[in-house]
Amino acid sequence: MSDIALSIPQARAARPRSAARVLRTVQTVSIFIIALVIVSPLLLLVVASLKDDRFQILADMGSFRAFWVSNPTLSNYAEVGHLSGELAFGRYLINSLIILATTVCSGLIVNSMAGFVLAWGSLRGRGVILSVVIALYVIPQESIIMPLVIMVSRAGISDTFAVQIVPWIASPLYIFLFYQFFTQLPKELLEAAEMDGASFFRAYRSIFLPLSLPALATVSILMGIETWNQYLWPILVTQTDYARPIAVAIATFFGQDSIYWDRAMAASVLMMIPILGLYLAFQRWFVSSFIGSAVKG
Amino acid sequence: MGNRLLWSLILFSTMIAPWAQAAEKTAIQVMHQGDPGFVAAYGKVAERFEAANPDIDVQFIYAPHDAYNEKFSAAVMAKQLPDVMELDAPFLANYVWSGYLQPIKPLIDKDLLDDMTESNIAQGTYPIDKDLYAIGLTDSSVVLYGNKKYLEAIGARIPKSVDDAWTREEFESYLEKLSKLDGVKWPIDTFRGYGIKTEWITYAYGPILQSAGCDLIDRKVWKSEGTLDSDACVDALAMMQKWVKNGWVVPQSAGTNQFFAEGNPAALALGGHWVYAEAAATMKDNIVVMPLPKFGAKGASPDGTWIWAITKTSKHPDISGKFISFLLKDKEFRAYVASQSGYPGLKSFAAESPLYADGGPMAIAFEQASKTAVARPPHPAYPTITSAFMQAVDEVFNGGDAKEALTSAAEKIDQDIEDNDGYPPFGDEQ
Repeated sequence: MSDIALSIPQARAARPRSAARVLRTVQTVSIFIIALVIVSPLLLLVVASLKDDRFQILADMGSFRAFWVSNPTLSNYAEVGHLSGELAFGRYLINSLIILATTVCSGLIVNSMAGFVLAWGSLRGRGVILSVVIALYVIPQESIIMPLVIMVSRAGISDTFAVQIVPWIASPLYIFLFYQFFTQLPKELLEAAEMDGASFFRAYRSIFLPLSLPALATVSILMGIETWNQYLWPILVTQTDYARPIAVAIATFFGQDSIYWDRAMAASVLMMIPILGLYLAFQRWFVSSFIGSAVKG
Repeated sequence: MGNRLLWSLILFSTMIAPWAQAAEKTAIQVMHQGDPGFVAAYGKVAERFEAANPDIDVQFIYAPHDAYNEKFSAAVMAKQLPDVMELDAPFLANYVWSGYLQPIKPLIDKDLLDDMTESNIAQGTYPIDKDLYAIGLTDSSVVLYGNKKYLEAIGARIPKSVDDAWTREEFESYLEKLSKLDGVKWPIDTFRGYGIKTEWITYAYGPILQSAGCDLIDRKVWKSEGTLDSDACVDALAMMQKWVKNGWVVPQSAGTNQFFAEGNPAALALGGHWVYAEAAATMKDNIVVMPLPKFGAKGASPDGTWIWAITKTSKHPDISGKFISFLLKDKEFRAYVASQSGYPGLKSFAAESPLYADGGPMAIAFEQASKTAVARPPHPAYPTITSAFMQAVDEVFNGGDAKEALTSAAEKIDQDIEDNDGYPPFGDEQ
């Protein structure tokens, strides 16, 4: 009788433990499946880039063979990695890196400065300027692209790196993002700096900018992706391979009659690496920025 | 500080200045599209041309196929038109009407002009002044490819000439039989994978409407309503919609090679002449080339391809003409184009292409050029015509109503013509 009485609570305690274990297993399996689904396009891209037959790549699509390569080869990478010649993808990749680095670095400086002035500056009509900045954000890029083409052509900067960098440095979205971030920091910081004799610019450079790592990371990643994926603009304003980015070069593989999937995949992998690196470098602050805004919001 | 300024200046000038152009050389700019093979081939031709003409520098401007028109528009707006440009033949009327091109006859070697096939002359001629504005090494066509093994299995008749083409009834009955045959996943590949950003739909499906007894636009009065939305066109498009609904057509998501993909999942292919080289490489003798079926009283097939023109703004039209002549005569370039099953637009190139000669595997494709080829409407409104028609076909293939879609397309086309006062002198011809 007593044995029975003792065994009942034990059984009750064991049930929740096993239920929790099952739940954890279900969670783990679900996360694994979701991760697999998210990673599978990238995996497919990498695997396809190691196949040397473009028809085989298409034939394998739609089956698990798409994720397997029996005789991996780096020949596609060798073909697209040249620094000179008609298909100098190495050269295009370097062009893209120059454009990315310059645009993002300049963009961080210009947009953060503008955001700081709008947040704490003693400028008259700050509210109006802020409204204009927000209003500019809703204008679609497509509607201004042709007038912009005429402007840069009259400025004589077509077919240069500058034409792909300068128009995209200042952005209403990123100015607003910095503005929002700076307004969330206590104004006492600025007042304290001013009492210590620091100029407005010094307060921005030495106090507010170092504190804005999450905003800098967010803008770097968003701006980086935007710059890296520019396609139509470089086609419109560049003529030669002098400053053309890799996104345009990859389009060569998508002809009217044939699509060269093998080389397109290899070039896409090469194109993906720098932007993935940028994301990984700033990931910590990028995530904390989102968490921070969620908590504050 | 001084060093910093100097480095900044160096960096700035590097970013601003394009590659220093070779001094003392006369440069011509050539705008083109094409896949990596053709891009490389053009580059090699330019090297040989520059070697033969050391005082000339050929600079290429590559524009991806799907953004070619946008690039051209930007070049026009920025007043940066190249000297030589590749253009898709049906867009020629629009470019000439807009004043971008100059007559090419005085600038091209006479032996090349005499060498052009009739279809090649037609694709480069502006119908108003009947002058030649562009020339190409090649032309094009679409044929019906068949998998011999599958066709024999259903007892299909294999046409031997254009006059012998399948009728609509035969074609549809074969599609139905093929759909039930083991090994056939889709009875036909109509290359929907090319999407609506290329000319494919208008180019390849337009002749189906023309064969059925209608057209994209009335070519006498240049009005689309009453023609594109006529019963014959609605019926033809509804017929194609039925093929799609029945699951007979390779879907867009399956890519562009299901006819010659491993396992041959598609039994037939309504494909361009360029498909032959790739298909023959994998299918060997199992491929048959047939004329496009007759969907009405007569057959119809497309023609026209990317051809070379010289812009009106060119400062060196004579050198530009010299380069085009060199390109079209270049032996190695011709050999490359022939290896890609290039469809001859010059008689001498046809003689070098056993593929298209009598008895050759693609002879039927060449036969179509003289018997059934119908050019796309040579009218300045063509960009609107093709865009409206492609949208209509896409809508219908995705389940839309054929009559509604074609009526809407016809209205768009007529509206564009009206907005441009009939594109005179085209309007004056009415």
